[in-house]
Amino acid sequence: MSSDIVVVGAGHNGLVLAGYLARAGFRPLVLERRPTIGGVVVTEEFHPGFQCPTIVHTLPRPRPELVHYLDLPRHGLQIVEPDPVVFAPSDDGRALAIYRDAGQTAEALRAWSKADADAYPAFEQSLGRIGAVIEPLLWSTPPSIDEINPADLWQLLKTGRRFRGLGAPDSYRLLRYAPMAVADLVAEWFETDLLRATLAAEAIRDTASGPWSPGTGGLLLLRTALAGRPAAGHVAAMGGIGSYTRALGDSARKSGAEIRTGTDVTRILVEDGAVRGVALANGEEIAARVVISNVDPKQTLLRLVDPAALLPDFVFRVQNIQTRGTVAKINLALSGLPSCPAASRLAGGDGAASTLLRGRIHIGPDIDYLERAFDTSKYGQASARPYLDVAIPTLVDPALAPQGCHVMSIHAQFMPYHLRPDGWDGRHERLAQSVIETLSTYFPDLDNFVVHGEVFTPADLESLFGLSGGHLLQGEPALHQLFGLRPVLGWAQYRTPIEGLYLCGSGTHPGVAVCGASGANAAREVIKHLRKRRGSGVGGRGSV
Amino acid sequence: MTPQYDAIVIGGGHNGLVNAAYLARAGKKVLVLERRRQLGGAAVTEEVFPGFRFSVCSYVVSLLRPEIIRELDLPKHGLEILPLDGTFTPMHGNFLWRTNDHFQTRREIARHSRLDAEAYDEYAKAMVEMARFVKPILGMIPPDPMSLRPRELKGLLSIGRRFRALPLVDKYNQIQLMTMSAVDFLDQWFETDVLKATMAASGIIGTFLGVRSPGTAYVLLHHYMGEIDGAFRAWGLPRGGTGAISMAIAGAAREAGVELRTDASVATIRVDVGRATGVVLTNGEEITARLVSSGVDPRLTFLKMVGARHFPPDFIGDIQHYKFRGSSGKVNLALDTLPDFACLPGPGPHLRGAISISPGVEYMERAYDDAKYGRFSRRPYIDIVIPTLTDPSMAPPGTHVMSCFVQYAPYHLRDGTWDEQRDAFGDAVVDTLAEYAPNIKRIIRHRQVLTPLDLEREWGLSEGNIFQGELSLEQLFFMRPAPGWAQYRTPIQNLYLCGSATHPGGGIMGAPGRNAARAILGDWKRVMKSTTKTRT
Repeated sequence: MSSDIVVVGAGHNGLVLAGYLARAGFRPLVLERRPTIGGVVVTEEFHPGFQCPTIVHTLPRPRPELVHYLDLPRHGLQIVEPDPVVFAPSDDGRALAIYRDAGQTAEALRAWSKADADAYPAFEQSLGRIGAVIEPLLWSTPPSIDEINPADLWQLLKTGRRFRGLGAPDSYRLLRYAPMAVADLVAEWFETDLLRATLAAEAIRDTASGPWSPGTGGLLLLRTALAGRPAAGHVAAMGGIGSYTRALGDSARKSGAEIRTGTDVTRILVEDGAVRGVALANGEEIAARVVISNVDPKQTLLRLVDPAALLPDFVFRVQNIQTRGTVAKINLALSGLPSCPAASRLAGGDGAASTLLRGRIHIGPDIDYLERAFDTSKYGQASARPYLDVAIPTLVDPALAPQGCHVMSIHAQFMPYHLRPDGWDGRHERLAQSVIETLSTYFPDLDNFVVHGEVFTPADLESLFGLSGGHLLQGEPALHQLFGLRPVLGWAQYRTPIEGLYLCGSGTHPGVAVCGASGANAAREVIKHLRKRRGSGVGGRGSV
Repeated sequence: MTPQYDAIVIGGGHNGLVNAAYLARAGKKVLVLERRRQLGGAAVTEEVFPGFRFSVCSYVVSLLRPEIIRELDLPKHGLEILPLDGTFTPMHGNFLWRTNDHFQTRREIARHSRLDAEAYDEYAKAMVEMARFVKPILGMIPPDPMSLRPRELKGLLSIGRRFRALPLVDKYNQIQLMTMSAVDFLDQWFETDVLKATMAASGIIGTFLGVRSPGTAYVLLHHYMGEIDGAFRAWGLPRGGTGAISMAIAGAAREAGVELRTDASVATIRVDVGRATGVVLTNGEEITARLVSSGVDPRLTFLKMVGARHFPPDFIGDIQHYKFRGSSGKVNLALDTLPDFACLPGPGPHLRGAISISPGVEYMERAYDDAKYGRFSRRPYIDIVIPTLTDPSMAPPGTHVMSCFVQYAPYHLRDGTWDEQRDAFGDAVVDTLAEYAPNIKRIIRHRQVLTPLDLEREWGLSEGNIFQGELSLEQLFFMRPAPGWAQYRTPIQNLYLCGSATHPGGGIMGAPGRNAARAILGDWKRVMKSTTKTRT
């Protein structure tokens, strides 16, 4: 069989891209190895009657333009914005909450520190303003450094004007914060340890960095830019976060894309430096003139493509992309809602406590705690006291579990991909135990409710989801792997040295969070090239 | 009334002296005020124990700008830099010994890894290219990215243009050097752990960062910067200790007409309607000048000597955010004889260069982990030189002095004070040394331990930071010491900074002092105008 355009992998970026291509009149064929589309953004039944976000459990608030353009609400996406967005218990029984409204957060912070309460709204505003300058950059293609074209120049000029419009204090902050350690950044604003840690955590999630790592300040800015808020920009969805990718899939199909699951692409076929199709595990070959890979750059260029088709220097650069995964995922099926004394105390009663727990629950009471969790991973050890980001999706949508039951989704960091001495085999039970033990400080009766659990180590993320090193972002979002350097310098425009082969996953710009920007940007580039080539026979309905 | 001097330079450290010398050579009447009895700041040689002379703080020349040596004719004033030959890294049962002889080093590296020996050639070539790109930036007055003035834009554009002209592979390296950790950068080239550890060590000196912290790769360049400087070596030992550099610069300054006063401690900088007019010494003496150039760090200059009330609050905020966080200490040892390293016993040329206790990347990283939580490294990184092997005049015949730069020693200790911990810190250093040179404890005649607190008290280095402020990315170039104020000027008219807290930062480089002199002389007309039409 043949198809003009093949998309390898139906992760969220692949689906965004397919949706954009289909809306532009092309008919992409999306091939997904797993039985479910969505990549790491899926909600699956992991125990009879219990559904849980398998890996990712919250998203930065999706860009309204994207939601609107792909008509996602009509395809079933129902976004929920829990309030408070983040609940952070401390180990002494107190807690703080970050609300959608900065004023409300400030009021809540007054119990901790008057100075912090006063500073919080200004902090949100300042980072929000800086974020607004950065945001358009995340949704556009990084300029090529060798040949800057007029469109790039225009873009640069616009950015320069937005930057100038910031005024001196914020623009200097932007310059200063970008290379800084996030621990320093939050310390410039706040004195409360728990608040510092809660805000700093936003920058180190899904990375191989601790809060003292330089450059994490920049990540906080980038993620603020995506979500609009420093810590409070996350959303959940009815039916679990997987309904986001389900909606993306339905939207793409509706517009003319074809999606095949259970279809394992084992090779991307290249002839004379140009892509010619893909080969499947079952031996089938699908001819295509354009292949867009949602698989990470390393897997795509070193495994799916025969590296002999690439120049050695390029291969060397791709090999050196840092993909040290640090995230493990533990999902628990619970027979009831465990108590959280810190939440009860803050809410003034057990009944109201559960509303505090509908958003993200941050476990990591101070900067040192987060840094220590990171430290052990540097030496190949799993954190005994990990930094946890927890969600209880059944508080948002009770239909995800049998009546009265709950699921708990736990993102645990830092768990090194290379675990010493012998890797992750047979270590799942122990990992789950240490995570439950850590959680028990805050949910003392948690253990009594656990009826089932599932554990994904970085090694599992690699083997099950095809993520090199188990890195959820397909590559560390470090200063030397962002913007024009993502995935590698000179190839940040979603193209590859192989004609007709494109990348669209998180391993490309911006790649700082699950946001669909890579897919949207790649789609724009691919459409541009396809239209240029229309004369040569590639194309769709020809209406656009 | 005409001011007594054209310029007062606060602090007789090497940058203050360079600054004063250049101003005087331009015909200005300059007074240097040094609080200590001795000129040189942290670049001093002192007889700490009878007969034993030490480069007490700073112990090697790092990138002293060749143009300064030339323009101030420092050799004529007694400067003689002796080569510091190589780096010896002892391990348990093995060692790595890199020398200035590239081919010998290559053979030595091959003993550890043949692949690495091959990579070493390419690495050296790449680094020289990179150093060539960066070098002109050291002598630049940093442009202000927020300014619309053509001169500023030109500065930024010229860097941009030069960058774009680089071949792709050099662009790659350059960006990686500015953003990566030293270890991550080296991982791409080498596989030998000790080689990476000992090379990466240079990236963390004087910072509160580990070898795996992003941004530390940049300093790897410094070792290659010297190669393109021509006759003068990147790293060397001045005959007579680092104090000899200060003496040579002071000699040049004196010859140019600079008046040098020691034991003259500045209490306040006089500010009159937003303009600096002179200084008041701690003994009450007042001295007036058209301008004041401070070689002291920004915290002392702005917050202590001028006073916060004279500045806009935003600026004070920036200065309060400027990070010092000293992370190192110094242990000076007077020895009966030479240390004997178990991995390469006996005296020999390996002791003549730097001796680096940096046996592995994890060792270095764990040393940093200690510091993050507020204690000195139980097993620190130590950079050692034995100056008596190149300059025997530093100690009585047959005996030696040994200078140990020690990291990490965080200024802010979580438990106890540095006065309580000083001896324990010294012990940790000696114990660490003893693991590699077992005879060390027997041969120590005297021991001087300098903690970050001592550096602050005695040399006025806030929080004991040897570079007058961390050399981290957000405190470099046009952000040093504060964004918008990186051009040696300050919000107070006729008050300038000329120390290591300004671009391009610390080390015995002299560039800040020289750049500041250029900035001041460029402003001279304005300075004259503002100081001649004063009221009677």
